[in-house]
Amino acid sequence: MFGAFRFTNPLSGGLLWKIPWRLSKFQKARHRKRLRAVDDVVATVDAALAKNGETIATLERWKAEMPTEAEMLPKDKYTMFDRKAKRYRKGIHRLPKWTRVSQRLNPPGY
Amino acid sequence: MSWFRITLHRSAIGLPERTRGVLAALGLRRRSQTVFHPVSQDFAGMIMKVKELVRVQEVDAPKTDAEVKAERQFAPGFWVEKRGKEVMARRGGGGRDMN
Repeated sequence: MFGAFRFTNPLSGGLLWKIPWRLSKFQKARHRKRLRAVDDVVATVDAALAKNGETIATLERWKAEMPTEAEMLPKDKYTMFDRKAKRYRKGIHRLPKWTRVSQRLNPPGY
Repeated sequence: MSWFRITLHRSAIGLPERTRGVLAALGLRRRSQTVFHPVSQDFAGMIMKVKELVRVQEVDAPKTDAEVKAERQFAPGFWVEKRGKEVMARRGGGGRDMN
């Protein structure tokens, strides 16, 4: 009952994941900051190439498809599509390496 | 001609080999390292590949590593008005050699 071998959830067998269900407001703020940092990099590269009258395919595709941080819905900022999750959404922090990958788009209608 | 000033802000530990290869090609080996590359489509494509990891500015001229380091140094808080050696020499060279 007490002591080192008490029955707590992590000890009572099986695997208990401790990823919180949602992001804290501080995690969300830092996440928005990272999104804006990526937007900044893309804008800088675009402006620098535009001065020479150049562009590249990946840049054009990013600008055409990817919303900027300001354009994104909160739903897309903090959650992502998952076909196995209840109501088809899971927290974006469940994505491996989520602070260093761009995950902005989700299937239409979900 | 303008240049990209690229600083590695986030580590690529655990990211795909392709991503780490792009960083190696840009010459970025450690965090906070800064490199300069000319503005061209080649380097723009490489930056787009690692855009989540780097901070980029467009600058007019590249800087050497020493100049980049000098930007980060604080002012020492004092300045030398005259060297002890020169003062002693002016007094007649009688003093000890002070450096």
